[in-house]
Amino acid sequence: MEIKILGGGCAKCERLERLVREAASELGVEAAFTKVKDMDGIMAYDVMSTPALVINEEVKSSGHIPRKEEIAEWIQAAQGT
Amino acid sequence: MNALEYVTILLQTGLSSLTAYLAAHVLLCLLPAFFIAGALSALVPKEAITKYLGRDAPKWISYPASALGGFVLAVCSCTIMPLFASIHRKGAGLGPAITFLFVGPAVNILAISFTGVQIGMDIALARIVLSIVFGIGIGLLMAWFFRQDDEAHNAATNGGGAFAREDKVPGRTWVFFALLLGVLIAGTLQVGVLTRSYATFTLPGSWAGSFQAWLDSVVPPNPALGIEGVSVHGVLLIGLLILIAVTAWLGLNKVDEGFNGWTYVALGLVTLTLVVASFKVVAIAGSPSIGSRQGLSVGVTGKLIAEITLIAAVWWMAARRFEAYDIQEWLWEMWRFVKQIIPLLVVGVFLAGMARALIPATWIETLAGRNTVWANLAGVLFGVFMYFPTLVEVPIAQTFLSLGMHRGPLLAYLLADPELSVQSILITNSVIGRKKTAVYVVLVTIFSTLSGLIFGWFIR
Repeated sequence: MEIKILGGGCAKCERLERLVREAASELGVEAAFTKVKDMDGIMAYDVMSTPALVINEEVKSSGHIPRKEEIAEWIQAAQGT
Repeated sequence: MNALEYVTILLQTGLSSLTAYLAAHVLLCLLPAFFIAGALSALVPKEAITKYLGRDAPKWISYPASALGGFVLAVCSCTIMPLFASIHRKGAGLGPAITFLFVGPAVNILAISFTGVQIGMDIALARIVLSIVFGIGIGLLMAWFFRQDDEAHNAATNGGGAFAREDKVPGRTWVFFALLLGVLIAGTLQVGVLTRSYATFTLPGSWAGSFQAWLDSVVPPNPALGIEGVSVHGVLLIGLLILIAVTAWLGLNKVDEGFNGWTYVALGLVTLTLVVASFKVVAIAGSPSIGSRQGLSVGVTGKLIAEITLIAAVWWMAARRFEAYDIQEWLWEMWRFVKQIIPLLVVGVFLAGMARALIPATWIETLAGRNTVWANLAGVLFGVFMYFPTLVEVPIAQTFLSLGMHRGPLLAYLLADPELSVQSILITNSVIGRKKTAVYVVLVTIFSTLSGLIFGWFIR
């Protein structure tokens, strides 16, 4: 599974990354993490504001930090496909 | 005067402005303002505003929505640039993006309330109104200058689905904001109903008078330089602020993972501090020989009653009407702003206070003592080349004011400083390119100079 965190390295992006890593390890899912920090890279996705979460090239959330349970559901759904 | 005395005076003026800020101004103004900024950041879904900023939004909606977005969404610099870039590339285009970029830093809730309390409501209001009017003006001009680019750009990129997402602000959030704004306004508005004491009692003791005398000798008030000195009340409040800092560090750093005991202690102390700050306290150094009473005179003000009612309502709503997760987010955002801004502000206030004793008033008076085009331009250029962290522009402006700067150029400086800095110009450059950035910088310079000039002429 490929997980990308979009955001310029602010405190919120770090918190999102921490939550996603926790959710993934609790589910025992292997995932490759990438941090996208440059504006062009971020703008390549359909997001307006950071931090944004992209799982398997699909934007799951942007502009706010989702709850860990939500993130876990997305990871499970992405794994099922 | 020898060197040692000179250094002592410098340190004294720095210290006295710092203590005066902490005791008198930070509290009833900045403390609530940080809570509001945190709530704006955590509780307002961005989609509630960005839905008006899509490619197909008509101009009369997209420009005002951008200005509003600047106020609501731009509390944090980490939201400004991505939103600016996406409004420009995928949303309503260059004009509204520029409006958003211009309005954001100038009218955020922290800067406006701080300016109002510190420098005057006239400047704060002028800052809001002129930023919005000129933000929209500059946006329209930029869109008109580069209309061909924008059309080519529109054809090249397909519409952003991100702007189609809808959301709205729930009713309880509106009420919550109204209450928080109430706390801010009740604490800072200087009207008779709020400032009058409805009951006064005296805490006896001769220590109050002598403590006040000692404080006056350590940080002597100097009205000529606008230095206020510190009161007994102020010392108590600074003590409480330090306690808040310690407990908030323990209780709010990890509030995103849940509340702990320290969270409640910190929030309780914040409440206590706002309440204590609302009393009117004066040390009386009466002479015992003629039988007058010594001690601390404590007045129950209208402000106190209003603050207690409003804060109680805020906590009640937070506990009963919101999910715990929302409140955690709110406190986390608030604390993040505090950690980001307050340390720099403390240093900035101290240095700006020292500068009062350092810069000869004649310099400022010659350069910007009158409301001329050159004085206003000087204010703007100083704002561009000096980079001050968020909010530090306010104590700097106050230093200028006490040294004799005219309020017109002062407003020009206050508009230009957060808008344009070498750093922000470079970032803007990376999003919209060199040519557009250059035009933007020139427009902001002209408009800020004009605003100062008009305002200075208006208040004469």
